[in-house]
Amino acid sequence: MTTTVGPPTERTTAPRPAPPRRRRPLLKANGRRALTAWLFLTPSLIVLLAFTLYPMIQAGYLSLTDYNLIRAARFVGLDNYVELFQDPAFWNAFGNTVLYAVVVTPVTVVLALLFALMLNQRFVGRSFARTAIFLPFIVSLGIIAIAWAFLLDPNIGLLSYWLGEIGIVPEQGWLNDPRYAMAAVMAVGVWKNVGFYMVIYLAGLQSIPGEIYEASRLDGAGPWQRFRSVTLPLLSNQTLLVSVLALIATLQAFDQIWVMTHGGPFFRTETLVMLVYREGFQQLRFGYASAISFVLLVFVFILSMVQFGYLRRKQVTY
Amino acid sequence: MKTQHPRSGRARRPFRALTAVAGIAIAGLALAGCTGQGSGGGGASETDASGKVTLDFWNGFTGPDGPALQKVIDDFNASQDTVEVTANIMPWDTLYQKVLTSVASSDGPDIIAMSASRMPQFASQGLFMGVDDYYTDESHDSKALNQAAIDASVFDGVNYGVPVNYTPMMLYYNKDLFTAAGLDPEKPPTTWDEFAAMVPKLTVDQDGDGKPDQYAIAMGDHETVPIYPSLLWGTGGGIVSDDGKTSTLADPESLKALDFWVSLVRDQKATQIGMSGADADKLFQTGKAAMEIVGPWMTSGFDEAGLNYGLAKPPAGPTDPAVLADVVSMGLPANTSDEKKAAAYQFFAYWNSAEGQTTWADGSGFPPNRSDVADKVTSSPYPAIFGAQDVADDAKLLLPGIAQGGPILETVFTPALQRALNGEGSVQDIFTAASADVQSQLGK
Repeated sequence: MTTTVGPPTERTTAPRPAPPRRRRPLLKANGRRALTAWLFLTPSLIVLLAFTLYPMIQAGYLSLTDYNLIRAARFVGLDNYVELFQDPAFWNAFGNTVLYAVVVTPVTVVLALLFALMLNQRFVGRSFARTAIFLPFIVSLGIIAIAWAFLLDPNIGLLSYWLGEIGIVPEQGWLNDPRYAMAAVMAVGVWKNVGFYMVIYLAGLQSIPGEIYEASRLDGAGPWQRFRSVTLPLLSNQTLLVSVLALIATLQAFDQIWVMTHGGPFFRTETLVMLVYREGFQQLRFGYASAISFVLLVFVFILSMVQFGYLRRKQVTY
Repeated sequence: MKTQHPRSGRARRPFRALTAVAGIAIAGLALAGCTGQGSGGGGASETDASGKVTLDFWNGFTGPDGPALQKVIDDFNASQDTVEVTANIMPWDTLYQKVLTSVASSDGPDIIAMSASRMPQFASQGLFMGVDDYYTDESHDSKALNQAAIDASVFDGVNYGVPVNYTPMMLYYNKDLFTAAGLDPEKPPTTWDEFAAMVPKLTVDQDGDGKPDQYAIAMGDHETVPIYPSLLWGTGGGIVSDDGKTSTLADPESLKALDFWVSLVRDQKATQIGMSGADADKLFQTGKAAMEIVGPWMTSGFDEAGLNYGLAKPPAGPTDPAVLADVVSMGLPANTSDEKKAAAYQFFAYWNSAEGQTTWADGSGFPPNRSDVADKVTSSPYPAIFGAQDVADDAKLLLPGIAQGGPILETVFTPALQRALNGEGSVQDIFTAASADVQSQLGK
């Protein structure tokens, strides 16, 4: 399969070979088109600059101060960072965040792919199943977290009761017990988001041309081989998107865990963003909180770049 | 595995676009954090259309005490025509989260109520204005007020608040459960030893699954009135020395009290572990705990649940009664104008007047802030019980006037206690380490 992926106009108006054209810089290639593109991009760019880049720079500056929101900020240099790297609370939150991301990201991605493969088949109740898996994603996170906190409550929780009936009964409830709290919030995190990534995979699956499967079948490939050699590689775009998005989302995990456990018991489920919130809005140390978020920003940035680099090399286009 | 789709060729482009859009949407969501900076709001006009000074009063009286609070405010608004107070009632944790940003953006409350134990932290950051001149003004009739309630909001020699309420925590006990356990329903435990002797009778595991179905006492270990920390007083211990400079958490007296309670909970399952204050209230309210130590705001909830309960002074420790008192105070943002300050003082004076306090105590069940109205409070029995002299005499505030009091409780004591209750180390080891953390917090 070597169809050109460029815009249709290119194919009809330009008889010359397409590849070199596509590599030319945007502004040189066609002034009018570039201008149009920039015009369309402007609103997004303004929003991006005002609400993402500016706050980022501002947070970077604040991380060098002792800002507390009320008094004027005093410049303290790298003091916050020096304190940060010696702060056990930071390393605890860092460890929890990494643990959460390392478990939740692959589980979510693999489950999303499995669900997508299953729900791409034709069967009775397919729409219902798709909706059921997607539904948690569109419900407000606060509501979901509260509902789960109820379900898992040791005294009145329905799920705790059922699990108790079959003999699984953590004495303090899932969320209060340090041995299970992290697993419980992880499970809910996966459950909440898997539907969204499944939809991305479903979209990817439906965009794979049927001819490829026909061809591979003619070549004698079995179901597993077709999955390994056709489906999986042709879903590499989706896998890149899904895994980068999922990783970033898990590294920023906050609201669901906050509502379910407040980071407890004894900070076993406290993530970095939660620590930012605690130091900033509860301890009134906005400079220190900014330093933590800046470290998180750098960490997420590096990881995303590594992920992009690695997965892009494995990417397949058709 | 069959994964082909008949529409695949046609559907490719739209679906890829959809994927991209979805991706951008989620990235946008992830980035939508909050920066607490703001300059907006602007100085809202000090007076309303009719020329009254309007005061926005933030507080957390979301319970049955809310209507009582509103009643006093309505009475005040009706009593004069220069000041109009509007109550903005929200849960306490919401208030603590919102207050800083809204004050910084000049868009916040004119009067802020909060636990006096939290005030030093905010005051040390410059949120509050000193109100010493309120107490020096004779016309405010502050002489009759409970001195401990006034002193609760002092930080660094300056008073930052005027009391809304002052109350000791008392022992609620379920008489029916006492009777069922073969105990005298008129004899709640008066000492720790009596309490410990009752634990085996009041902790019941009916179905034998190793998890009690009824606990002797409901004690929250997080997000709650700090009952556990106050128990350290029982043996003469505490978290911080009286001058607020030294951690005493690892002193032998403190460890003795902690040992006693942690072993009661761990070995005898006196209470469920891992409960928040709300969980503990629920446990007692549903008859799954025989006792709870908490404030007067729970009475109407327990009455509505139809509990047959008694109220008593909490069991005393070997050397100290260990009765915890709590004060909610009203403070003013540091940038309050003279006009609003004068109006707020007028309201404070009314709130703590004999008239205001009678209405408040009658409606809320809190003991009045002044002793000279006790005989006027008639429609509720609870103000008299919680205001009883022998309880009030022994009641103490936790970590008064210590700027790091809140962080010490939330980030050091509570996690250490939870570790100990979960058996993640010995009481001695855990609290020796925690004591060092308290000391470093005090140095901040």
